Amino acid sequence: MAIKFEQVSFQYPSFDGKNFSALENINLEISDKGEFITLIGETGSGKSTLVQHMNALLRPNTGSVTIYGIKIEKNTNKNKKIKLNPLRQKVGLVFQFPEYQLFEETVLKDIIFGPKNFGVKEDEAIKRAKEVIKHVGLTEDYLGRSPFNLSGGEQKRVSIAGILAMEPDILVLDEPTSGLDPKGRDALLELFTNIHKKLNKTIIIITHDMNTVYKYASRVVVMHDAKLVYDGLPNMLFMDENIEKWNLDLPDIIGITKQLEAKLDITFTKKPHNVNELFELMKGVL
Amino acid sequence: MKNIIVGQYIPGKSFLYKMDPRSKILALFILMVSAFVFKDITHIIYMLLGVLVILKIGGIPIMRIARGLRPIMILLLFTFTFQVLFIKTGPVILDTVLTLTTINIGIMILAIVVWYYTRRYIKSKFFYMVLVIVGILTMLSLFTPGTVISSSNLTIYEDGLLGASFIMVRLIIIVTLSTILTLTTKPTDLNLGLERILKPLNLVKINSEEIALIISIALRYIPTLLDEANKIMLAQASRGVDFTEGKFKDKVMQIISLLVPMFIISFKRSDDLANAMEARSFVPGNKRTRIHILSWQSRDTLVIVFCLLVLTATVVVRVYL
Ligand SMILES: Nc1ncnc2c1ncn2[C@@H]1O[C@H](COP(=O)(O)OP(=O)(O)OP(=O)(O)O)[C@@H](O)[C@H]1O
Ligand SMILES: [Mg+2]
Repeated sequence: MAIKFEQVSFQYPSFDGKNFSALENINLEISDKGEFITLIGETGSGKSTLVQHMNALLRPNTGSVTIYGIKIEKNTNKNKKIKLNPLRQKVGLVFQFPEYQLFEETVLKDIIFGPKNFGVKEDEAIKRAKEVIKHVGLTEDYLGRSPFNLSGGEQKRVSIAGILAMEPDILVLDEPTSGLDPKGRDALLELFTNIHKKLNKTIIIITHDMNTVYKYASRVVVMHDAKLVYDGLPNMLFMDENIEKWNLDLPDIIGITKQLEAKLDITFTKKPHNVNELFELMKGVL
Repeated sequence: MKNIIVGQYIPGKSFLYKMDPRSKILALFILMVSAFVFKDITHIIYMLLGVLVILKIGGIPIMRIARGLRPIMILLLFTFTFQVLFIKTGPVILDTVLTLTTINIGIMILAIVVWYYTRRYIKSKFFYMVLVIVGILTMLSLFTPGTVISSSNLTIYEDGLLGASFIMVRLIIIVTLSTILTLTTKPTDLNLGLERILKPLNLVKINSEEIALIISIALRYIPTLLDEANKIMLAQASRGVDFTEGKFKDKVMQIISLLVPMFIISFKRSDDLANAMEARSFVPGNKRTRIHILSWQSRDTLVIVFCLLVLTATVVVRVYL
């Protein structure tokens, strides 16, 4: 297992002494080979906090997170012998808001910043930058521009490119598709799927879009009220009665299927993944 | 980062919270003036005790204030050292020669190295550092075998020591008093109070409302900006910036990677704030009505009278004693 959470709890400290509990007793295992995980849950349920534990940015208040054999606990940073930095190359984390990381004069410099920090030679890093900028749906012309004059969606893509260029084993993305147009969103998700399939890397995506979950994920983790309430297959999740309670909804295609079933008073043998499958199922019963 | 509590309101119930912000600001001002009127170390220590009593009655834990003082500890230490070294009047307390020899320079370096590597295991780092410095100085003056490399005189005079302590206590009093004000007053109340108190300045064409607004926005944004800085550090750390170590060149890069987003975000925030204010039809200088009406009560009068008595007493002490 590449990442293992054992009874992890985390509180954000606050001034008035009442600490805010953002994670409660989380147990989770993630492999670095071939998983496509979506992490969902309502706003404020602790998703971003959870992923920041995956590359040792935050340390649990109780319990432990083991990342590539290195055990992270409350007091881990006291011991300087443990180097956390290499973990951050292995587990690449793209933050929810790109403006927290962009700072160089040009997009190129910003993209090569990460790889150079991890000891990649400048020309190799530039080569990677030229690759990844295309992958995230921008052209090489963007490399010379200032990251601050880009639109929100373009900034998002640049920030993703900056992490991709580090070539992490596990890629964690905090709401990578928010603020993108539908086409750009699909293209990015295809990109992640490609990375996942071709390089057999693990992808973890935080999202609020159930269609993404249903279409791409091989595993879904649901957070609710600082607790991990579901960990399993997307198919099974959408049959769970609790999804109302967890403030989730159904993917469009399952919603349509359910309505059809109710209207026609039939039950299909399985749940379709896209319109074509639904069509086939319809042909079968009519 | 979380130690900086200036500008941070903490809810509570004591009389400090029930006071009118105007009276609190006035009282703070009067007491600060008193702190500056004192010239004698014993008197200002009485005042420090008085401030501690206020904290006690006001139900503010002293530890909170102590934590808030920590960031200015270095400043205090600097002032203290300079005062001690440069005031050269009054009786001599300590007169010694610091001698650097081939043997004790080795011990000194050893002590510094040991301190450097053990300091992270010690809880009160500050006292550990002071202890090591005092230890080294003592050794330099007393233990001097071997060949002398260089030596210099260290003379401490009574006035220097007293003066230094005096300034330290005065600074602590001032910071504590202002912290009490911001800890117990909601930013909105603080703003309103300031505005009312500065009102007379309108006569000389200085807009008190604007000044109050500027101050309250600045106070309001200190914690927010600290939070932002924290988030930026996390985002950069995930790209391999190790803020805890690095050579000087790396350090410069680390600071740039923190400051640039910080500036961009602050500008964006202030832009957003300006737009939000405009969208709510905020026009500087317009007449506005208030949700909260300040009410001056007898306890406020009492406090001000008391503070004025303190001030009078200090003046009397200063003039006649
Ligand atoms: N720096 C912080 N200080 C204090 N509390 C925080 C901090 N960051 C987050 N929180 C709190 O912790 C809880 C979990 O936050 P988190 O950012 O993990 O939520 P999330 O699931 O990512 O939500 P979203 O979908 O809106 O991104 C929230 O209720 C939030 O108020
Ligand atoms: Mg989030």
